[in-house]
Amino acid sequence: MTCVELHQSLAEQEDVGSWEQRTHLRECPACSTLVRELNLIVAAAGQLQEADEPSPRVWNSIEAALRQEGLIRPQRPFVSSFGARWGAARWLVPAAAMLLLALGIYMRRESQADHAAQQALVTSMGNQVASQSDLNDDELMQEVAENEPAMKTQYAENLRQVNESIRDAQGLVNESPNDADARRSLMDAYHQKSMLFEMAMDRPLP
Amino acid sequence: MVSGRTVKLVAIGVIVAGTLVAESKKEYHFTVGPKAGVSVMNPYGSISVKPSLNNTVVVNAVLHSDKVEVDNNQNGNRVDIQSHLLAGADAESGRVDYEVWVPADASVTLHSSTGTLRAEKLHGDVSLEGAGAEVDVRDVSDAHVHVKTMNGAVNLDNIKNGHVEVDSLSGEVTMRSVNGPLVQVVSTSGRINYIGDFGNSGEYRLSTHSGDIEATIPEWTSADVSARTTRGEVHDDIPLQPKNHTWFAVDKGRAFAGTMGKVAVSSTVVLRSFSGKIHLRKRPENK
Repeated sequence: MTCVELHQSLAEQEDVGSWEQRTHLRECPACSTLVRELNLIVAAAGQLQEADEPSPRVWNSIEAALRQEGLIRPQRPFVSSFGARWGAARWLVPAAAMLLLALGIYMRRESQADHAAQQALVTSMGNQVASQSDLNDDELMQEVAENEPAMKTQYAENLRQVNESIRDAQGLVNESPNDADARRSLMDAYHQKSMLFEMAMDRPLP
Repeated sequence: MVSGRTVKLVAIGVIVAGTLVAESKKEYHFTVGPKAGVSVMNPYGSISVKPSLNNTVVVNAVLHSDKVEVDNNQNGNRVDIQSHLLAGADAESGRVDYEVWVPADASVTLHSSTGTLRAEKLHGDVSLEGAGAEVDVRDVSDAHVHVKTMNGAVNLDNIKNGHVEVDSLSGEVTMRSVNGPLVQVVSTSGRINYIGDFGNSGEYRLSTHSGDIEATIPEWTSADVSARTTRGEVHDDIPLQPKNHTWFAVDKGRAFAGTMGKVAVSSTVVLRSFSGKIHLRKRPENK
């Protein structure tokens, strides 16, 4: 069984119970890591479904699980497999997506709330997202520098610009919480950032 | 005695021969039914898709070294092509250039980090994605066109009745004769150019954080237009009928809103930039 065949079989069935699958997983560290992470995502998704918005506890529990699995390490040595190389950063895309989702839920809920409550919640949400985003940015750029140094400058510049757009849009929302354009700009800015992470993650590795 | 010129020629010959030996071509044929799905995932290199004359998918691949393989798979009405990088492959040795012919009604998904992505004369959904990829889509009708790039330029030409969504961080987006129920461009710093007539009864939303927006339209366009920038400026060459009510303050130089043409068939046009310029231009009649 090849890597491609294994990926196809994963899409068709939930577990990896066949002899061919198990044999391939024993011989292929990349696929083995992928399957392990998929299982982790399934487990984490169960937690996330229970809440409308991800709380810090959810992120902490995911982080703890990742650390237990050895997928997050403070300093990664030279490694070769896709999963290991992107261990922590693989979570940037779902994390960014969840932040976007949470922001969207918030925007929808708060569209009819009073001004003061909106102001407080926007600021709170923005701070929470910003602090997590900053941490992820460093990690993402470290990964880009290691794996695709030729693209580092482009990613850094786009990341800088998108962070600036988030700050500007956040400022507009803070000033005018009832401004639909401002809220949409903020959503768009987070969407763009999420897309940037997604592209960095999608880059192929040998 | 061997001259220096001869040595140079021999050296060049060896290099060229080596390149030719390393480069190889593959061709694949698949028979598919109506509305087939075709996906090409290519880390490095270009992908060009054109319509085939019958119900076949033909893939021509030029592999630039033996450090990359082409995996192909047909599952029912779906064809998946993927460049498979082998150990040691980089952007040059892992490059594959594809030419693909698909039935015109096929849905196409293309992905490349660095190459140019082209699709033309199709009427199935088209999705193109790549960080540094340049995107060129033309002569597509009655389809969804979704594009995602980081800094690659995006050119859309003659897209009729499309559901168009473009996300680009810093690449310039240019649309000529693009219309449909939804045309949406979101960019962080890229410039957005629209040259066309905004169709009728569609929603056109062009938004960039720091890039400029320029829309060039004929005077007979029917549209309900609103343009707004926070720190940039707006220019309007076309007189609009002012609206009685707008939900945002129309600060002179920073925003305008109004209608033009026939209200019954007008499209909604929303132009937004935080710090860029927004310019609504009148297209000269002879063009």
